[in-house]
Amino acid sequence: MDNVTWDLKADKAVKLIKEGKRVDDRALDQYRAIEIKKNISENAEGSALVKLGGTEVVVGVKMVLGEPYPDMPNEGTISVGAELLPLASPVFEFGPPRPESIELARVVDRAVRESKALDFKDLCIEEGEKVWIVFIDLYALNDDGNLFDACSIATLSSLLETRIPKLEDGEIIKDEYSGKLKLSRKPLLCTFSKIAGKIVVDPVLIEEKAHDARFSLATTEDNYMCAFQKGGSGSLTESEIDQCIDTAFKCAKQIRKQL
Amino acid sequence: MAKKEEKIEYVKNGKRLDGRKVDESRSLKIEAGILNRADGSAYLEWGQNKVIAAVYGPREALPKHIQNPYKALVNYQYRMATFSVPDRKNPRPARREIEISKVCGEALEKVIFVEKFPNTTIDIFVEILDSNAGTRVAGLTAASIALADAGIPMRDLVAAIGVGKAGGEIILDLNKEEEDAPDAVDIPLAIMPRTEEIVLLQMDGLLTKEEWKKALKLGLKGCRQVYEIQRATLRKQYEAAEKEAKVGEKGEREKGEKVK
Amino acid sequence: MSEKKIVVPGELITGERKRLGSHVFVENGKVYSDSLGLVYTDKDVASVVPLHGKYIPRRSDLVIGVIVSETYSGYIVDINSIYRSYVSKEYIRENLSRGAIISAKVRDVNEINEAELEDVRVFYGGELLSTSPVKIPRIIGKNGSMLNELKSGTACSIVVGRNGWIWAKGGNVSLLVEAIELIEREAHLSNLTNKVGEFLRKKVSK
Repeated sequence: MDNVTWDLKADKAVKLIKEGKRVDDRALDQYRAIEIKKNISENAEGSALVKLGGTEVVVGVKMVLGEPYPDMPNEGTISVGAELLPLASPVFEFGPPRPESIELARVVDRAVRESKALDFKDLCIEEGEKVWIVFIDLYALNDDGNLFDACSIATLSSLLETRIPKLEDGEIIKDEYSGKLKLSRKPLLCTFSKIAGKIVVDPVLIEEKAHDARFSLATTEDNYMCAFQKGGSGSLTESEIDQCIDTAFKCAKQIRKQL
Repeated sequence: MAKKEEKIEYVKNGKRLDGRKVDESRSLKIEAGILNRADGSAYLEWGQNKVIAAVYGPREALPKHIQNPYKALVNYQYRMATFSVPDRKNPRPARREIEISKVCGEALEKVIFVEKFPNTTIDIFVEILDSNAGTRVAGLTAASIALADAGIPMRDLVAAIGVGKAGGEIILDLNKEEEDAPDAVDIPLAIMPRTEEIVLLQMDGLLTKEEWKKALKLGLKGCRQVYEIQRATLRKQYEAAEKEAKVGEKGEREKGEKVK
Repeated sequence: MSEKKIVVPGELITGERKRLGSHVFVENGKVYSDSLGLVYTDKDVASVVPLHGKYIPRRSDLVIGVIVSETYSGYIVDINSIYRSYVSKEYIRENLSRGAIISAKVRDVNEINEAELEDVRVFYGGELLSTSPVKIPRIIGKNGSMLNELKSGTACSIVVGRNGWIWAKGGNVSLLVEAIELIEREAHLSNLTNKVGEFLRKKVSK
């Protein structure tokens, strides 16, 4: 394993951050450059490839017919899955999902679901019988840190492009669409690392290796927060969280311009 | 059903649906040292929530390649018993349980002196026997007592509680009915009571920054109350050891006299 | 000894500068407990005696161990600690098999609490008894006073290891077990040595 060399790199990241600098010369509250390529898969109802600095992910949306939950007969739903492909990093392996990828999928899921951007009632086709299930699958291609935000940006980009398949007699007609998915909000995650007592936004992989704690929050354009997730073995203070909240609103506003 | 919900008043004349005030937690009871085989254990009742926590270790981490030469691994396993929810739960760990296990283990790693026990694992098993919203914070509160009971060196306890919003009001320790409100916000929160640093924080639902500030203030107050109960539990356990000693002594004396 | 104070992990012991005893740590110049236990402080030292805890080997501790396996140059020994310990064959004349009970002195402890043992004594027969390592000081007593009571009251040969394991042979071992249980329960109380003496005499006289 290359643990030892990572330790050395992490030490350097800590040293730099103590001086207010970062390994890639960014300011502590500066996001990496984002590149979005939409509709990279024709078979998907919506898809996007997102590059966040050296991190690269693709997200695809498939709309599938399903039955509603008995307690929500007039609502469809979403389902988010994450694959940390072995091609993305020497530490990713095939096999049952690890806690890391489950957490990633669930946090991206919460950002969309809890923002109420999608009205699940719009996804109902026939009450109690048939609804749309929006499958959102996240694939990491290159992990250079902050898969959370990269996947969140790609998810929102894909959903904004997602076409609803046309139905005839309750069956999907291939390659025909009845319109686009309606999104009432644009929730975006913004993730921070706490390193040597300082908060940095959009950590690169080395910074993630060096961090004590991670904090992600999802914000909407109408000044709501809709998901929090603290990770890592460190702690956060109230003022650190305040700082994250303010930076997250600012960064998300910039990112939305690119969608 | 959804139409009905919109009419519910979650707080009426300062009282909630179950009669509590907005800043009132459900009643909380904890008992330490309830399992014989475990190195440490605790049983907790928090409203309808019932939780058993057990700690094993530090012990050798196996297989060897998972060992960390700098610190002990904290392996937290949160599970819900199949009968602990209205519909039987599949015994296989769900994604929710795996995520909760991850974040709760990370929260406890902050307080445990993990650097004192390289190459070992500290296994913490939390089983939810009955549930009514707030089980992850109940589990974490119980686990913290089980760790102290196991004699594992710690910087502090971890005190946890849920806080959030229902029907437009910021409230402490949401129950299931409140968690199902159309505008519900749920914020599981855990702190190190001594410094009030936050070690667990999650949130779902729509919340403004102002509401968050109010919720955190209420949550911190709740955590302090939880901490006082945790502290009393541990002190009681120590004193119980003495009381038992006195009873034992008396018993011996009686036995002795009978023989005479 | 001042009044008894029970502390929980993270609880403040003192804001004064003191030498650190066991189960305490310093943060921002203040001394805190790292365990549930009783505070023992005097002019110089702040210390906590924990209610529960695992044995952490320290140099020159006398411990009781059980042979687990043999290596080319020595033996792996279970000493009721988190880690197994090692003893070189140069300290042992005979061949030992798995399950043999020994006493030994801790020669050295490395940074991850693995102990190397020396001064090995091999026991033949007898029984291995076990108690919490944190109770061992009470089982030995001041200048060995409690241990003397136990030896004379039960007529056992007894060797007490710091690691919570006790080897006993001959005499009334079951009475010894009862006495140890009594000490475990009453470890916090004063005048314990006399009580245990009384208990043993009563039992023997009947």
